[in-house]
Amino acid sequence: MSTESGTALTPAAPGPAAGALRRAVRLRAPGWLALAADGPADPSVASAVAHASDRGARIVALIIALAWHLAISLPAMLSAGPGMAAPAVVAAGWLVTAAVGVGSGVRLLRGGLPPARRLAAVLLVVDAAVVAAAGERYLFTAANWVWSGLAWFFLLVLWRRPVSWLLALLGAHAAIALGAVLGFGATAAADLTRYAMYLYGTSSLPVAVFVGAAAIAALARGRARTAAAALAVQAERDAAERARRERQDRLALVSGTAEEVLSALATGDADPADPELRRRCVLAAARLRRLIAESDDVPDPLLHELRAAADLAERKGVPIELVAVGTPPELPVEVRRRLADPLTAALADARGTARLTVVAGPDEVVVSLVTPDHDGPDGTGPPIADTDGPVEHVHERNGEIRWTQTRWRRT
Amino acid sequence: MDADPVAADVTGGRPIGVAIVDDHPVVIEGVRAWLASEPGLRVLAMGDDPDEVLRLAPSADVVLLDLRLHGRMALDKLAELSAAGHRVVVYSEHTEPETMLAALDAGAVAFLAKHEGREHCVATVLAAATDRPYVPPTLAGAMVGDPRPDRPTLSDKEREALLLWFQSMSKASVARRMRISEHTVKQYVDRARIKYTRAGRPAATKAALLARAIEDGLVRPEEIGIYRSQAQTDRPTP
Repeated sequence: MSTESGTALTPAAPGPAAGALRRAVRLRAPGWLALAADGPADPSVASAVAHASDRGARIVALIIALAWHLAISLPAMLSAGPGMAAPAVVAAGWLVTAAVGVGSGVRLLRGGLPPARRLAAVLLVVDAAVVAAAGERYLFTAANWVWSGLAWFFLLVLWRRPVSWLLALLGAHAAIALGAVLGFGATAAADLTRYAMYLYGTSSLPVAVFVGAAAIAALARGRARTAAAALAVQAERDAAERARRERQDRLALVSGTAEEVLSALATGDADPADPELRRRCVLAAARLRRLIAESDDVPDPLLHELRAAADLAERKGVPIELVAVGTPPELPVEVRRRLADPLTAALADARGTARLTVVAGPDEVVVSLVTPDHDGPDGTGPPIADTDGPVEHVHERNGEIRWTQTRWRRT
Repeated sequence: MDADPVAADVTGGRPIGVAIVDDHPVVIEGVRAWLASEPGLRVLAMGDDPDEVLRLAPSADVVLLDLRLHGRMALDKLAELSAAGHRVVVYSEHTEPETMLAALDAGAVAFLAKHEGREHCVATVLAAATDRPYVPPTLAGAMVGDPRPDRPTLSDKEREALLLWFQSMSKASVARRMRISEHTVKQYVDRARIKYTRAGRPAATKAALLARAIEDGLVRPEEIGIYRSQAQTDRPTP
């Protein structure tokens, strides 16, 4: 049992340290603000935004690839028909590519990524097979659809992968085409020029789309991060503002009494020798002291506040025995105020000795002050209006003792 | 305060013998002075070694034991003395609730905080001599705030009486607040104390407290039956 009596009482620590205030501010911010405040450190918010904007680019790439495959590659392949060296191989390649496109598309639209390496290998095999099967006659025509159409599928299977992967794949594509050009003996200057033009024409657009999409996603991520940081700053500001308002509310609670006494003293209307005036001064000071203690960030706020009040009464020359049993649960400031305020007022009236006890359990906290009864006026704190709240307040004097008790029960 | 008026009768007019064990001579002298002012009490031996003191006064009815002797807590000594049937009143400045409850568990008849004055001291010794409970306010606080999951189950009235007694240290005030007689207040407090005889290891002193409580009509034997069936620790361990 922590018994504190006589000089064992130590004055409460002065105002909160900056760190403590910051912690208190954090605690008081509502949940969503706290989440936002964590934003800069937490990449998930930013990546969610980036993800949303990336989805549009995925749809566009998918539409281009499949539309090209259906609207350009398919008619060209069909019109060339049996003229090609191995039309069945070309058609099979077309089907495999369509399957890869649809499969990747489904993955991309669901938010995932296709298995890049395996699908890229499949596409390169198709590439080589179709170029060979189309034959020399159709080498530079639309019927050899892999020339122009396949790059869009590279884009799909390599989505969100490093751009170097795409360049490597396009390089392989170019090598296969060059192999065909040389293999078919189309080594005339005009053929090589056509090859170079084809290469440039079919590669530049997919690369541009790929790089553009990656840049947009990165920009979106950055924007989201900035927004989260701004929100966190706003949250801190709101919380600080709230803490300030709470401080002012507390001040308003006591300034009425204190101001009245002080101005009466200043104007000379009040006589400092009047015991009643001295009692009012003590009461106002006790309240101020307790309210200052209220905003301190300490492990056991209720005991801390009671100690602050007891400390003041001690200075007035009343020896106080403070005995606490058990550890109070975390209580809202309003409940603590209702528990401690009547005791603070009663302490200001204490003469002789005082016994302040706290018995706390997880569901009940009872605070009591017992002092010898005397002829002085009764406690004149703010009248306790509601007794049906969560905190019950009993005060009695029976000629022998003055007994003030507040009791909170979990409802 | 609240001394049991029948205490002296039980020993048949013979003064109650008290042994004091403390390692501070000034405390021994003080306590001796307190007890000497009570006609029914006689201090038989004093010293800082429990065995030595009991060898000098084997017939002592009550042993006042300072829980901290030469820098160490004498809880095992307390259990040993209690098991041997000595009525030990622990007298200590170590008033943490855990310590007080541990002393009761070990078989102490009562626990007295050193800051509790002469009246409580005399009342406790008188009650202890007749195997009757006496609960000073500090001990009442420890009991009402007992957080242990296997603590005895107290009734609402018993809890309230303990709480108010702890707060006010005046049974008259508790009686007024609860609108019952002072006698009933004492009964509630004592019943709560008797319920604690089932906590911890069994001891001869606990059995004696219980037997006297039944004799006095403070608790009913069937209530004891319930305690026994619920308390595994009440049975001797092999």
